Amino acid sequence: MPWVCAECGEVNYEDSSLRCVCGQDVSYEDAIRFEDEPARSITRERQNLALEFRGSAREYFRIWIVNLCLTLLTVGIFSAWAKVRKKRYFYSNIVLEGTPFQYLGQPLPILKGRILAVALFAVYYATSHFFTSVLPYVLAAGTALAPWVIVSSAAFNARYSAYRNITFSFHGKYVDALKAFYPWALIPVFITGAILGWWNSEKMKILISVLIGLSFPWLVRQLKNFIVSHTYYGDRKGQFSAGGRQFAWVYFVSGWIVAGLAIIATVVVMFAFGTLRNSRYSLLVYGLLAYSGYVLAFAYSQANIGNLVWNNTLLGPLRFRSTLRSLEMAKLYLTNAVAIIASGGMLIPWAVIRTLKYRADNMNVVLEGSLEEFHGVEAVSVRATGAELGELFDVDLSL
Amino acid sequence: MSLSILNLQGLYYDGHRPVGLPAILTVFGREATLSGAPSSRTYQSRQLYVSPRVGRADRFIALPDGGQFQCEDGPSLDRLPQESHSEGLVAWLEARAAVAIAAVAVIAAVLLAGYFYGLPVAAKSISARIPIETEIAVGEKALAWMDDNHLFKPTGLTKTAQDRIRDGFDTLRSGLPLEQYYRLEFRDAPAIGPNAFALPGAIIVITDDMVETAESTEEVLAVLAHEIGHVEHRHSMRHLLQDSLVATLITSVTSDAASLNVSVGGLPTLLAQTKYSRQFESEADGFAFKLLKRHNLSPAAFATFMERLAENRGHDGPFAFLSTHPATAERIEQAQAAAEQ
Repeated sequence: MPWVCAECGEVNYEDSSLRCVCGQDVSYEDAIRFEDEPARSITRERQNLALEFRGSAREYFRIWIVNLCLTLLTVGIFSAWAKVRKKRYFYSNIVLEGTPFQYLGQPLPILKGRILAVALFAVYYATSHFFTSVLPYVLAAGTALAPWVIVSSAAFNARYSAYRNITFSFHGKYVDALKAFYPWALIPVFITGAILGWWNSEKMKILISVLIGLSFPWLVRQLKNFIVSHTYYGDRKGQFSAGGRQFAWVYFVSGWIVAGLAIIATVVVMFAFGTLRNSRYSLLVYGLLAYSGYVLAFAYSQANIGNLVWNNTLLGPLRFRSTLRSLEMAKLYLTNAVAIIASGGMLIPWAVIRTLKYRADNMNVVLEGSLEEFHGVEAVSVRATGAELGELFDVDLSL
Repeated sequence: MSLSILNLQGLYYDGHRPVGLPAILTVFGREATLSGAPSSRTYQSRQLYVSPRVGRADRFIALPDGGQFQCEDGPSLDRLPQESHSEGLVAWLEARAAVAIAAVAVIAAVLLAGYFYGLPVAAKSISARIPIETEIAVGEKALAWMDDNHLFKPTGLTKTAQDRIRDGFDTLRSGLPLEQYYRLEFRDAPAIGPNAFALPGAIIVITDDMVETAESTEEVLAVLAHEIGHVEHRHSMRHLLQDSLVATLITSVTSDAASLNVSVGGLPTLLAQTKYSRQFESEADGFAFKLLKRHNLSPAAFATFMERLAENRGHDGPFAFLSTHPATAERIEQAQAAAEQ
């Protein structure tokens, strides 16, 4: 990403070696990120802002269990209130420079959104299992709907988040989403073709599937870029500077972790049992080893994608340094999973809290300038439906 | 409206810049005064709104001019107008240990009741209202897929053998509610071995290996009676509904588990689903025994056939609880008991 040399003020575009055209070597810490702003002082005050997570498992357990109970008793209707409660707990316990964040969501819009989302999901489910001839039309409708889901989900989540009495907002529109994601609209076309039998050659199907799979990192990059570059805090918007190749590298390594451990698993089982399908135990050992590969790869991608996104995001005078580590996250996930299974689910709140604490401890917010650069703007109400649809189909859109 | 003075120390945010100014909010009766911010302001107490309590986090008081006041939580804040009374009520419940303990008990009771009773009953009544015609397309597609992908090959049985079995099958299905929908298909499936399936839409498939392992037509009919049991009880539909509902429920509870969601939710889901499968198999077995006896055939044929299949396949291991069928020994016992009645 471009950076400004502190010595001569020159803007450099080659970021692999941190050496300015004037000959000055610069460390990563001192490289000042370049912004599309009118001329401003090059030496700016840098200040680490104190970010802490103050939540505790005991507190959250009470909130989680009571809300879960009420949700079950009301066959899910209370889930809208439960969501508000939980989000309010998390936001209120993330404290930046002594001020907590605020969640401003309301339960009724969330409930309406969820009911609509369930109805749409039922339509999708029914057509995909029973009325498969209608499926292409449903997919087409879904493709047309997807940009709207992304946009209004982001807008809702932004609008109902605030810090120090200034709300976030999302200014992306349906058209912007179309422009950002249109290449991937071909995927539903491909699926429809596969169902209707347009492609007779197996090789074509495999080739296209592989191409779609390979395009995934770029899709992720487009998504993150879309969200960040249209999100505002007050009157300042986010800037995103990571490229698709950086995402691709992370997924590439993750793939090798899975493959590597699968190979190791095969070798170990062959050596110990003589053959792969000898007994139930050989399958079990193979399964466990291969599974650990999946766990490591998942932790690796979570840590590195998280760091990649935050380290390449600017918001006005704010910069972010994320220091998540794959091994730490792998340990976290595994111990969480064991604890949850062993406790029959009762330790879920504990797992959530310690994970949030880890993430907060590994996030540094740096202020280069002054918070006074943000100005509050009048807020507008947004419908919750998009956000609920996004959650139902597991579209994780947040940073 | 009490006459005591409420003095709150905190920070004031004007909403124009994200910078907090130390301030003191004093509430006395109907008036509230904010001092310390650029200029002193006065509001009416009833126009202040306090954010809901959540844990012990700081709370925010919304001021009528768009400003906001942050202060520590305390019981005195309950005297001011609240932003949300319903949320306040939930917060009150959350604060009580007794409520949390009761909640655990209620959740356990609801989940157990739902799993063992609620879900199966719901699935049964819903599937009774869905006509079997809707399944036929699905079943035919599944069969076509198996044929196209060479899992199923055309049967190697002689026409005589097929006719003999078909006659017996037609006798078995006569008089049953779904009699007219049944279709019996013979296939050679070396990759699958001896097996019989009931596909959605009353399509029953039996492999050549299964027919060849049997030593009499009676034994084949015993197996077909079991499959007929699956169809009459609409198991494929109920299975689909129950499995989906269980998966949905477990996912929604564990969704914020911040761990390996697929694994954490996956194991209980798998256990729950295979338990449901075993119940269906037992139900089909029971139906089969009754059907056989109605046509003067003995469930003992079922027992001997199961024994022979088990010998060929090797016995159940320690992972029986993960199996979709009840333990073979159990099924043989049930068959023999039915034969003696």
